[in-house]
Amino acid sequence: MKKSLLFLLVLTVFFSFCFGARAGGDLKFAVQVEPAGFDPNLATAFGSHRLLEHVYEGLLSFNENMDIVPGLAESFEVPEPTKIVFHLRKNVLFHDGTPFTAEDVLYTFKRIQDPAFASPAASYYTEVSSITAPDPYTVVFTLKVPMVNSLLLNFAGVNSAIVCKKTVESGVNMQLQTNGTGPFKLKEYAAGNYIALQKNERYYVPGLPLLDSLTFVVIPEEISRSSALRNADVQMAQIMEPLSLNTFPAQRFVTYRVSTLPYLLLGINNAAKPFDNVLVRRALSYAINREELVEMVAFGEGTVTGPLNPSLKTWALLPEAFDEYSYNPEKAKALLKEAGYPNGFSFEAVTYAQYSLDKIGEAIQAQLALVGIQMKVDVAEFGIFVKRWREIDFQTFLSLNGGSTEPDIQFYRTFKSDGATNKFNFKNAKVDELLEKGRQALDLEERVEIYRALQRLLVEENPFLFLYSPNNLYVSLPEVKGFVPMSNQSLIMLKKTWLDK
Amino acid sequence: MIATYIFGRVLSAVPTILILTFIVFLAIHLVPGDYIDIMLGTQNYLTDEQLSGLYKQYGLDKPFVVQYGIWLKNLITFNFGTSLRTGQKVSAMILEKLPVTFELAFFALFFSLVFGIPLGITSAVKRNRFGDYVVRVLGLIGLSAPTFWIGAILIVAVSGLFQDYTLFGFVSFQKDMAKNLQILLIPSLTLGLMLAAQIMRMARSSMLDVLSQEYVKVAKAKGVSTWKVIYRHALKNAMIPVITTAGIQFGYLMGGTILIENMFALPGLGRLLLQSVNQRDYPVIQGVVLFTGVFIVLMNILVDILYTLIDPRIDLR
Repeated sequence: MKKSLLFLLVLTVFFSFCFGARAGGDLKFAVQVEPAGFDPNLATAFGSHRLLEHVYEGLLSFNENMDIVPGLAESFEVPEPTKIVFHLRKNVLFHDGTPFTAEDVLYTFKRIQDPAFASPAASYYTEVSSITAPDPYTVVFTLKVPMVNSLLLNFAGVNSAIVCKKTVESGVNMQLQTNGTGPFKLKEYAAGNYIALQKNERYYVPGLPLLDSLTFVVIPEEISRSSALRNADVQMAQIMEPLSLNTFPAQRFVTYRVSTLPYLLLGINNAAKPFDNVLVRRALSYAINREELVEMVAFGEGTVTGPLNPSLKTWALLPEAFDEYSYNPEKAKALLKEAGYPNGFSFEAVTYAQYSLDKIGEAIQAQLALVGIQMKVDVAEFGIFVKRWREIDFQTFLSLNGGSTEPDIQFYRTFKSDGATNKFNFKNAKVDELLEKGRQALDLEERVEIYRALQRLLVEENPFLFLYSPNNLYVSLPEVKGFVPMSNQSLIMLKKTWLDK
Repeated sequence: MIATYIFGRVLSAVPTILILTFIVFLAIHLVPGDYIDIMLGTQNYLTDEQLSGLYKQYGLDKPFVVQYGIWLKNLITFNFGTSLRTGQKVSAMILEKLPVTFELAFFALFFSLVFGIPLGITSAVKRNRFGDYVVRVLGLIGLSAPTFWIGAILIVAVSGLFQDYTLFGFVSFQKDMAKNLQILLIPSLTLGLMLAAQIMRMARSSMLDVLSQEYVKVAKAKGVSTWKVIYRHALKNAMIPVITTAGIQFGYLMGGTILIENMFALPGLGRLLLQSVNQRDYPVIQGVVLFTGVFIVLMNILVDILYTLIDPRIDLR
């Protein structure tokens, strides 16, 4: 009797899994920004990426847990430390019906590596010496340096998505037209209004996507976006201000939150006085109450982060592991005294009015005042901010940096003495050495050791201050099922989303 | 005759518009941070070589004056260039957004005249009486309350009171007339309220002016009823400054009503301009400014022609 009940239960669960998710339906999703250009190998705009990830696909992809999973390559192997062999899926069609083969992969990467094309992805593949296709469904990447681990992630990025050779060679403007292999195809783009995607009936994963259509409705203002959802003009919306969540009662709406990889930082010019003194940088770290920033500015919708996001459990040392991350104004004062600034000093932080950065500036200003440091916050227009950042024309700045699940990607460009985004005038031979070692090591345990040592060193040196990672927030009507937000801000799980009505 | 007049006016406007486009071109290039800076943001991993490749690709490596020259040269052949950001033709982008802004401006002006003129006249006729004070206070509120504030209040109020009212998800007039009008009602009302205050004040003061004229007094003395005096004699003369205001306002509205379009997610010229300035999409900025400049000039000419219809004493020659 018991056994048969159990069997029945298992059967019910099994069937609800199989038939619970119903295909069909049209989802309207309100977003803040719209795309700027459709060429996956060129687009840098956030809005473009959130659209193109449904239309195009890379050789690899991420699952819900941010693990690397097969994409257009059904598997890959690493026969030697400088070689990656991708085995491509057969029977994949581009949206126009053209079969996908190794030709398209070779063509895409030639395009990315062409200096005249100026793809933002070009810099990922500078250490790739050759790409060959021994047969139509195999592609081999040969590297100059053994750095397979940090390279793999790039194959899952939108900028490395595979384009159709035939389409590009026909001369169409790829910024205006699309032809990908993804679960949805572009149906209509009404600039400034909406982007309509339609189910790709010939998608290679049977049964996916579940939705018949997916429309991103562009509504820039938060108050308008929330109103649109409350009145069911859309079924789902992206929420930027945590405070807006109060207007969505839990009985009538579903809230999705995920801690993201990008992190807010107080960037420091390590060559500018008084920040050339490590004691001063360390004093700042003790004087800033990160928990309070999360509570006051993000209303709790954020996670205090060290050099690596706490969600990367294999790699990250938690903020609690560092004394420098504890709030200790007395210690900060003592360090300032030791550094020769017993009465504090004054400095300027440049920032821009996005991601609540101006509010973070005000909060830090108040915290630093308690230890005698006067901070002035200059909220600049974004273009002006970028120029000052690029020219290292600042004492400190407040900004949001993109994060990664791979420590090499997170750290190398940022902290290497000649790193592409090391705008901190930070030069440290020990850090450089660890970065090279970590990039080339293949053994996971060895790499974990290297990057733990690096995290400790970075917190000691404090080339800049990691503050917190904001949560990404979405709200939907209860009929929306199966959506999972991802820490890299991707919306690709919309292919498994369905409507229960 | 009138054709010669229009031709002359258009011709004389050409240098003004050229100067306008040059100043805008200069201003946007003087602002720190260019298109490439903003496109790459602080995630800029490119080498110097790749960067200079990008500048070259977008034609931004040339000196500013040369860039302006190229733009002018293309303009002669009615080539407005392509957007750096989206690769679309600027002319197509403007034409796509134009109907939205036109409709919004039209209805806003409609509301402002419907509310503004009667209130202004009433206020003038009932000068310094209770009705006048009410209208004047309303006018003051309309003038001083920022549109984004009125807009936000209306969004919250309408979406709270009428759960089924569709405020967002613009559709064109041709596609779905009812939905189009429903969606545009609140934004154009928001915009119209602010304009109504201006129209009202203009109508009131010009009406007061006319009412103090000798011929009005004579008419009154002859025993013509107050409203007849206003309707038959005063109104036409009082309308000239009102029409001027309305015409100029319409021109400005066509330049895009940035705040309202952004707030109500309407895909119009104002949002296009805002985005283009934020992204330093130079050809689009130039295109929208040129278009607006030309439109305002045309509006002014139209207003002048309207004068002759209202007041035969005005002669355009």
